[in-house]
Amino acid sequence: MLAGLMRNVLQRRTAFLPTLTKCLPASQPTSRLSQSSHIALQQEVLPTDDEIRHVTSSTIQKVNDLVAQGNEGRLFAVIHVAGKQFKVTAEDLILIEGYWPPSNGDEINMEKVMLVGGVDFTLVGRPLLPPGLVRVKATVIEKSLSHTKPVFYKKPRKQYRRLNFYRAHLTMLRINEITITGDINNPPSVVQVERPPL
Amino acid sequence: MSNSHLFMSAGWVTAPLNNGIGRYSGQLQRVVIKFCKTHGCSRGVREFVESNLIDFSRQNPGVAVYVKPRRHRAPTITAEYCNGERGYMHVSNMSRDEVYKWLSHQTTQSGREFCRYRKFWRTETPSIQGVWSPHTFRDPRLNLAEFPMVSTAPKDWFRFC
Repeated sequence: MLAGLMRNVLQRRTAFLPTLTKCLPASQPTSRLSQSSHIALQQEVLPTDDEIRHVTSSTIQKVNDLVAQGNEGRLFAVIHVAGKQFKVTAEDLILIEGYWPPSNGDEINMEKVMLVGGVDFTLVGRPLLPPGLVRVKATVIEKSLSHTKPVFYKKPRKQYRRLNFYRAHLTMLRINEITITGDINNPPSVVQVERPPL
Repeated sequence: MSNSHLFMSAGWVTAPLNNGIGRYSGQLQRVVIKFCKTHGCSRGVREFVESNLIDFSRQNPGVAVYVKPRRHRAPTITAEYCNGERGYMHVSNMSRDEVYKWLSHQTTQSGREFCRYRKFWRTETPSIQGVWSPHTFRDPRLNLAEFPMVSTAPKDWFRFC
Protein backbone atom coordinates (compact mmCIF):
# COMPACT_ATOMS: atom_id res chain seq x y z
CA MET A 1 0.00 0.00 0.00
CA LEU A 2 2.87 2.32 0.78
CA ALA A 3 4.22 1.63 -2.68
CA GLY A 4 0.90 2.62 -4.16
CA LEU A 5 0.89 5.77 -2.07
CA MET A 6 4.35 6.68 -3.20
CA ARG A 7 3.30 6.23 -6.76
CA ASN A 8 0.54 8.73 -6.24
CA VAL A 9 2.81 11.05 -4.35
CA LEU A 10 5.43 11.10 -7.04
CA GLN A 11 2.82 11.87 -9.60
CA ARG A 12 2.31 15.20 -7.86
CA ARG A 13 -1.05 15.67 -9.55
CA THR A 14 -2.80 13.53 -7.03
CA ALA A 15 -6.44 13.82 -7.82
CA PHE A 16 -7.88 11.03 -5.78
CA LEU A 17 -6.46 9.15 -2.86
CA PRO A 18 -8.43 5.96 -2.40
CA THR A 19 -7.31 5.35 1.14
CA LEU A 20 -8.88 8.56 2.32
CA THR A 21 -12.21 7.82 0.82
CA LYS A 22 -14.70 7.04 3.51
CA CYS A 23 -17.45 4.80 2.36
CA LEU A 24 -20.23 4.27 4.79
CA PRO A 25 -21.81 0.84 4.59
CA ALA A 26 -25.52 0.33 4.22
CA SER A 27 -25.96 -0.79 7.80
CA GLN A 28 -25.06 2.69 9.09
CA PRO A 29 -27.40 5.06 7.36
CA THR A 30 -26.54 8.70 7.71
CA SER A 31 -29.84 10.44 7.72
CA ARG A 32 -33.22 9.95 9.27
CA LEU A 33 -34.71 9.67 5.85
CA SER A 34 -32.66 6.62 5.02
CA GLN A 35 -33.27 5.18 8.45
CA SER A 36 -36.94 5.07 7.83
CA SER A 37 -36.81 3.78 4.27
CA HIS A 38 -33.80 1.46 4.69
CA ILE A 39 -32.24 2.67 1.50
CA ALA A 40 -28.52 2.00 1.28
CA LEU A 41 -26.72 5.25 1.01
CA GLN A 42 -23.09 5.95 0.74
CA GLN A 43 -21.21 9.10 1.20
CA GLU A 44 -17.95 9.68 -0.57
CA VAL A 45 -15.66 12.09 1.19
CA LEU A 46 -12.92 13.35 -1.07
CA PRO A 47 -9.72 14.38 0.67
CA THR A 48 -8.97 18.05 0.89
CA ASP A 49 -5.82 19.56 -0.50
CA ASP A 50 -4.37 19.83 2.99
CA GLU A 51 -4.96 16.17 3.67
CA ILE A 52 -3.35 15.21 0.39
CA ARG A 53 -0.37 17.39 1.18
CA HIS A 54 -0.06 15.88 4.62
CA VAL A 55 -0.16 12.31 3.32
CA THR A 56 2.33 13.20 0.62
CA SER A 57 4.86 14.75 2.93
CA SER A 58 4.49 12.14 5.64
CA THR A 59 4.92 9.30 3.15
CA ILE A 60 8.01 10.86 1.67
CA GLN A 61 9.31 11.48 5.17
CA LYS A 62 8.83 7.82 6.06
CA VAL A 63 10.91 6.71 3.07
CA ASN A 64 13.56 9.32 3.77
CA ASP A 65 13.74 8.15 7.39
CA LEU A 66 14.10 4.54 6.28
CA VAL A 67 17.00 5.48 4.04
CA ALA A 68 18.61 7.69 6.67
CA GLN A 69 18.48 4.92 9.26
CA GLY A 70 19.82 2.40 6.76
CA ASN A 71 16.70 0.25 7.14
CA GLU A 72 15.69 0.27 3.50
CA GLY A 73 16.93 -3.30 3.07
CA ARG A 74 17.91 -4.79 -0.24
CA LEU A 75 16.97 -2.57 -3.15
CA PHE A 76 16.20 -3.42 -6.72
CA ALA A 77 16.20 -1.16 -9.72
CA VAL A 78 15.08 -1.13 -13.30
CA ILE A 79 17.92 0.21 -15.40
CA HIS A 80 17.98 1.09 -19.05
CA VAL A 81 21.18 -0.04 -20.77
CA ALA A 82 21.93 -0.14 -24.46
CA GLY A 83 18.28 -0.09 -25.45
CA LYS A 84 17.09 -2.75 -23.04
CA GLN A 85 15.66 -2.66 -19.55
CA PHE A 86 16.89 -4.95 -16.79
CA LYS A 87 15.46 -5.47 -13.34
CA VAL A 88 18.53 -5.85 -11.19
CA THR A 89 19.59 -6.08 -7.59
CA ALA A 90 23.06 -6.23 -6.08
CA GLU A 91 25.25 -9.12 -7.29
CA ASP A 92 23.18 -9.71 -10.40
CA LEU A 93 24.71 -10.57 -13.76
CA ILE A 94 23.42 -9.05 -16.97
CA LEU A 95 24.50 -9.45 -20.56
CA ILE A 96 24.50 -6.59 -23.01
CA GLU A 97 24.25 -7.53 -26.64
CA GLY A 98 25.88 -5.50 -29.38
CA TYR A 99 28.84 -3.19 -29.62
CA TRP A 100 29.42 -1.48 -26.29
CA PRO A 101 32.73 0.28 -25.64
CA PRO A 102 33.47 -0.32 -21.91
CA SER A 103 36.20 -2.89 -21.33
CA ASN A 104 36.97 -5.42 -18.64
CA GLY A 105 37.43 -4.09 -15.13
CA ASP A 106 35.64 -0.80 -15.83
CA GLU A 107 33.38 0.37 -13.04
CA ILE A 108 30.29 2.01 -14.39
CA ASN A 109 27.61 4.16 -12.83
CA MET A 110 24.26 3.45 -14.43
CA GLU A 111 22.62 6.79 -15.16
CA LYS A 112 19.27 5.71 -16.53
CA VAL A 113 17.38 4.36 -13.57
CA MET A 114 13.67 3.96 -14.22
CA LEU A 115 12.55 2.52 -10.93
CA VAL A 116 13.93 1.70 -7.50
CA GLY A 117 12.17 -0.45 -4.96
CA GLY A 118 12.70 -1.92 -1.54
CA VAL A 119 10.57 -4.10 0.66
CA ASP A 120 8.43 -1.19 1.82
CA PHE A 121 8.46 1.34 -0.95
CA THR A 122 8.87 1.91 -4.66
CA LEU A 123 10.11 5.01 -6.44
CA VAL A 124 8.85 5.21 -9.98
CA GLY A 125 10.46 7.54 -12.50
CA ARG A 126 8.60 9.33 -15.25
CA PRO A 127 10.28 7.81 -17.14
CA LEU A 128 13.60 8.23 -15.33
CA LEU A 129 14.38 9.04 -11.74
CA PRO A 130 16.17 12.36 -11.23
CA PRO A 131 19.94 12.02 -11.66
CA GLY A 132 21.82 11.67 -8.41
CA LEU A 133 18.94 10.12 -6.51
CA VAL A 134 20.07 6.54 -6.95
CA ARG A 135 23.49 5.07 -7.53
CA VAL A 136 23.69 1.79 -9.42
CA LYS A 137 27.27 0.61 -9.73
CA ALA A 138 28.35 -2.13 -12.09
CA THR A 139 31.61 -3.76 -13.18
CA VAL A 140 32.40 -5.13 -16.61
CA ILE A 141 33.70 -8.66 -16.11
CA GLU A 142 33.65 -10.25 -19.52
CA LYS A 143 33.52 -9.31 -23.17
CA SER A 144 32.94 -12.15 -25.54
CA LEU A 145 31.08 -13.16 -28.65
CA SER A 146 27.77 -14.95 -28.84
CA HIS A 147 27.32 -18.27 -30.60
CA THR A 148 27.13 -18.17 -34.37
CA LYS A 149 23.66 -17.16 -35.42
CA PRO A 150 22.47 -17.96 -38.93
CA VAL A 151 20.47 -15.36 -40.82
CA PHE A 152 18.51 -16.94 -43.60
CA TYR A 153 16.18 -15.12 -45.92
CA LYS A 154 14.63 -16.00 -49.21
CA LYS A 155 12.07 -14.79 -51.68
CA PRO A 156 9.81 -17.56 -52.87
CA ARG A 157 9.69 -18.32 -56.62
CA LYS A 158 12.46 -15.80 -57.31
CA GLN A 159 15.56 -17.99 -57.07
CA TYR A 160 16.79 -15.80 -54.27
CA ARG A 161 18.10 -17.11 -51.01
CA ARG A 162 20.90 -15.97 -48.73
CA LEU A 163 22.51 -17.57 -45.73
CA ASN A 164 24.63 -15.31 -43.58
CA PHE A 165 26.18 -15.81 -40.18
CA TYR A 166 27.09 -13.40 -37.47
CA ARG A 167 28.26 -13.36 -33.89
CA ALA A 168 27.11 -10.56 -31.65
CA HIS A 169 29.30 -8.84 -29.07
CA LEU A 170 28.34 -9.72 -25.52
CA THR A 171 29.35 -7.72 -22.46
CA MET A 172 28.78 -9.22 -19.04
CA LEU A 173 28.11 -6.83 -16.18
CA ARG A 174 28.12 -7.48 -12.46
CA ILE A 175 25.86 -5.15 -10.49
CA ASN A 176 27.80 -4.17 -7.39
CA GLU A 177 25.52 -1.96 -5.38
CA ILE A 178 22.25 -0.08 -5.48
CA THR A 179 21.95 2.77 -3.01
CA ILE A 180 19.71 5.78 -2.60
CA THR A 181 22.07 8.71 -2.31
CA GLY A 182 19.75 11.70 -2.59
CA ASP A 183 16.70 13.12 -0.87
CA ILE A 184 13.42 11.91 -2.27
CA ASN A 185 11.26 14.55 -3.94
CA ASN A 186 14.00 17.09 -3.43
CA PRO A 187 15.74 17.29 -6.79
CA PRO A 188 18.66 19.65 -7.19
CA SER A 189 17.73 22.98 -8.65
CA VAL A 190 17.68 23.03 -12.40
CA VAL A 191 21.08 23.78 -13.90
CA GLN A 192 21.36 24.70 -17.51
CA VAL A 193 24.62 23.55 -19.05
CA GLU A 194 26.00 25.74 -21.78
CA ARG A 195 26.27 23.97 -25.08
CA PRO A 196 29.86 23.99 -26.31
CA PRO A 197 30.43 26.09 -29.43
CA LEU A 198 30.23 24.09 -32.62
CA MET B 1 20.46 -24.34 -42.87
CA SER B 2 22.85 -24.89 -40.08
CA ASN B 3 22.17 -27.60 -37.55
CA SER B 4 24.89 -26.53 -35.18
CA HIS B 5 22.31 -25.51 -32.60
CA LEU B 6 21.33 -29.15 -32.22
CA PHE B 7 24.65 -29.96 -30.64
CA MET B 8 25.32 -26.69 -28.89
CA SER B 9 24.60 -26.70 -25.18
CA ALA B 10 22.35 -24.01 -23.77
CA GLY B 11 23.31 -22.34 -20.54
CA TRP B 12 22.74 -19.54 -18.10
CA VAL B 13 24.79 -16.48 -17.38
CA THR B 14 27.47 -17.29 -14.84
CA ALA B 15 30.77 -15.81 -13.82
CA PRO B 16 33.66 -17.86 -12.42
CA LEU B 17 34.70 -17.36 -8.80
CA ASN B 18 32.06 -14.68 -8.19
CA ASN B 19 34.07 -12.42 -10.42
CA GLY B 20 33.23 -8.75 -10.01
CA ILE B 21 32.04 -9.03 -6.41
CA GLY B 22 34.63 -7.06 -4.51
CA ARG B 23 36.95 -6.73 -7.46
CA TYR B 24 37.44 -7.84 -11.02
CA SER B 25 40.12 -10.41 -11.75
CA GLY B 26 41.25 -11.38 -15.21
CA GLN B 27 40.74 -15.04 -15.99
CA LEU B 28 43.42 -15.44 -18.65
CA GLN B 29 46.54 -17.01 -17.20
CA ARG B 30 48.79 -18.04 -20.05
CA VAL B 31 49.22 -17.37 -23.75
CA VAL B 32 51.37 -19.44 -26.10
CA ILE B 33 52.12 -17.90 -29.48
CA LYS B 34 53.45 -20.36 -32.02
CA PHE B 35 54.75 -19.23 -35.39
CA CYS B 36 57.28 -19.92 -38.14
CA LYS B 37 60.28 -17.69 -38.72
CA THR B 38 60.27 -18.06 -42.48
CA HIS B 39 56.78 -18.79 -43.81
CA GLY B 40 54.63 -16.02 -45.18
CA CYS B 41 51.52 -17.01 -43.27
CA SER B 42 53.29 -16.13 -40.01
CA ARG B 43 54.30 -12.68 -41.19
CA GLY B 44 51.67 -10.81 -39.17
CA VAL B 45 52.54 -12.76 -36.04
CA ARG B 46 56.26 -12.05 -36.51
CA GLU B 47 55.56 -8.35 -36.86
CA PHE B 48 53.39 -8.49 -33.78
CA VAL B 49 56.11 -10.22 -31.77
CA GLU B 50 58.69 -7.66 -32.91
CA SER B 51 56.68 -4.52 -32.25
CA ASN B 52 53.67 -5.12 -29.98
CA LEU B 53 54.37 -8.07 -27.77
CA ILE B 54 56.32 -6.21 -25.07
CA ASP B 55 53.58 -3.61 -24.80
CA PHE B 56 50.92 -6.29 -24.61
CA SER B 57 52.76 -8.08 -21.85
CA ARG B 58 53.20 -4.88 -19.86
CA GLN B 59 49.53 -4.03 -20.18
CA ASN B 60 48.58 -7.49 -18.93
CA PRO B 61 50.89 -8.27 -16.02
CA GLY B 62 48.73 -11.21 -14.94
CA VAL B 63 49.26 -13.08 -18.19
CA ALA B 64 52.32 -15.25 -18.83
CA VAL B 65 53.28 -15.03 -22.50
CA TYR B 66 55.25 -17.81 -24.18
CA VAL B 67 56.61 -17.45 -27.71
CA LYS B 68 57.45 -20.62 -29.53
CA PRO B 69 58.97 -20.55 -33.03
CA ARG B 70 58.70 -23.76 -34.97
CA ARG B 71 59.60 -24.55 -38.53
CA HIS B 72 57.07 -24.65 -41.35
CA ARG B 73 53.93 -24.81 -39.26
CA ALA B 74 50.92 -22.55 -39.26
CA PRO B 75 50.84 -19.85 -36.55
CA THR B 76 48.45 -20.34 -33.64
CA ILE B 77 47.51 -18.74 -30.36
CA THR B 78 46.64 -20.87 -27.34
CA ALA B 79 45.08 -19.20 -24.31
CA GLU B 80 44.72 -20.93 -20.95
CA TYR B 81 42.28 -19.78 -18.32
CA CYS B 82 41.86 -20.09 -14.57
CA ASN B 83 39.30 -22.85 -14.88
CA GLY B 84 41.69 -25.02 -16.90
CA GLU B 85 39.97 -24.51 -20.24
CA ARG B 86 42.01 -23.45 -23.24
CA GLY B 87 41.13 -21.52 -26.34
CA TYR B 88 42.91 -22.36 -29.57
CA MET B 89 43.01 -20.07 -32.54
CA HIS B 90 44.58 -20.12 -36.00
CA VAL B 91 46.09 -16.82 -36.98
CA SER B 92 47.42 -17.69 -40.43
CA ASN B 93 47.75 -14.81 -42.85
CA MET B 94 46.52 -12.31 -40.31
CA SER B 95 47.97 -8.85 -40.19
CA ARG B 96 49.70 -7.46 -37.14
CA ASP B 97 46.61 -5.55 -36.06
CA GLU B 98 44.37 -8.56 -36.44
CA VAL B 99 46.67 -10.67 -34.29
CA TYR B 100 46.67 -7.93 -31.68
CA LYS B 101 42.90 -7.70 -31.80
CA TRP B 102 42.32 -11.42 -31.32
CA LEU B 103 44.93 -11.68 -28.60
CA SER B 104 43.26 -8.81 -26.74
CA HIS B 105 39.95 -10.55 -27.28
CA GLN B 106 41.31 -13.63 -25.50
CA THR B 107 42.21 -11.55 -22.45
CA THR B 108 38.60 -10.55 -21.89
CA GLN B 109 37.19 -14.08 -21.86
CA SER B 110 36.38 -16.20 -18.84
CA GLY B 111 37.30 -19.49 -20.48
CA ARG B 112 33.87 -20.89 -19.98
CA GLU B 113 32.63 -23.54 -22.35
CA PHE B 114 30.87 -22.06 -25.31
CA CYS B 115 27.09 -22.07 -25.12
CA ARG B 116 23.90 -20.40 -26.19
CA TYR B 117 22.52 -18.18 -23.46
CA ARG B 118 18.92 -18.85 -22.50
CA LYS B 119 18.58 -15.57 -20.64
CA PHE B 120 20.65 -12.41 -20.51
CA TRP B 121 20.07 -11.96 -16.82
CA ARG B 122 20.97 -13.92 -13.73
CA THR B 123 19.96 -13.19 -10.16
CA GLU B 124 20.17 -14.92 -6.80
CA THR B 125 17.36 -12.74 -5.42
CA PRO B 126 14.44 -13.04 -7.80
CA SER B 127 11.89 -11.12 -5.75
CA ILE B 128 12.20 -8.45 -3.07
CA GLN B 129 8.66 -7.21 -2.63
CA GLY B 130 7.24 -10.73 -2.92
CA VAL B 131 5.88 -12.58 -5.88
CA TRP B 132 2.74 -11.04 -7.32
CA SER B 133 -0.49 -12.97 -7.11
CA PRO B 134 -4.03 -12.01 -8.11
CA HIS B 135 -4.73 -11.18 -4.45
CA THR B 136 -1.83 -8.79 -4.06
CA PHE B 137 -3.03 -5.33 -3.08
CA ARG B 138 -6.65 -6.50 -3.05
CA ASP B 139 -9.12 -5.50 -0.38
CA PRO B 140 -9.07 -8.11 2.41
CA ARG B 141 -12.85 -7.74 2.68
CA LEU B 142 -12.96 -10.11 -0.24
CA ASN B 143 -11.86 -12.94 2.04
CA LEU B 144 -15.11 -12.81 3.96
CA ALA B 145 -17.40 -11.93 1.10
CA GLU B 146 -20.47 -14.01 0.42
CA PHE B 147 -21.62 -14.45 -3.09
CA PRO B 148 -23.62 -13.16 -4.82
CA MET B 149 -22.14 -10.00 -3.40
CA VAL B 150 -23.95 -6.68 -3.28
CA SER B 151 -21.17 -4.19 -3.02
CA THR B 152 -21.54 -0.91 -1.22
CA ALA B 153 -18.23 0.40 -2.43
CA PRO B 154 -17.94 2.72 -5.40
CA LYS B 155 -18.25 0.93 -8.70
CA ASP B 156 -14.59 1.27 -9.49
CA TRP B 157 -13.28 0.44 -6.03
CA PHE B 158 -11.36 -2.57 -7.32
CA ARG B 159 -9.10 -0.32 -9.31
CA PHE B 160 -7.60 1.12 -6.17
CA CYS B 161 -7.38 -1.90 -3.95
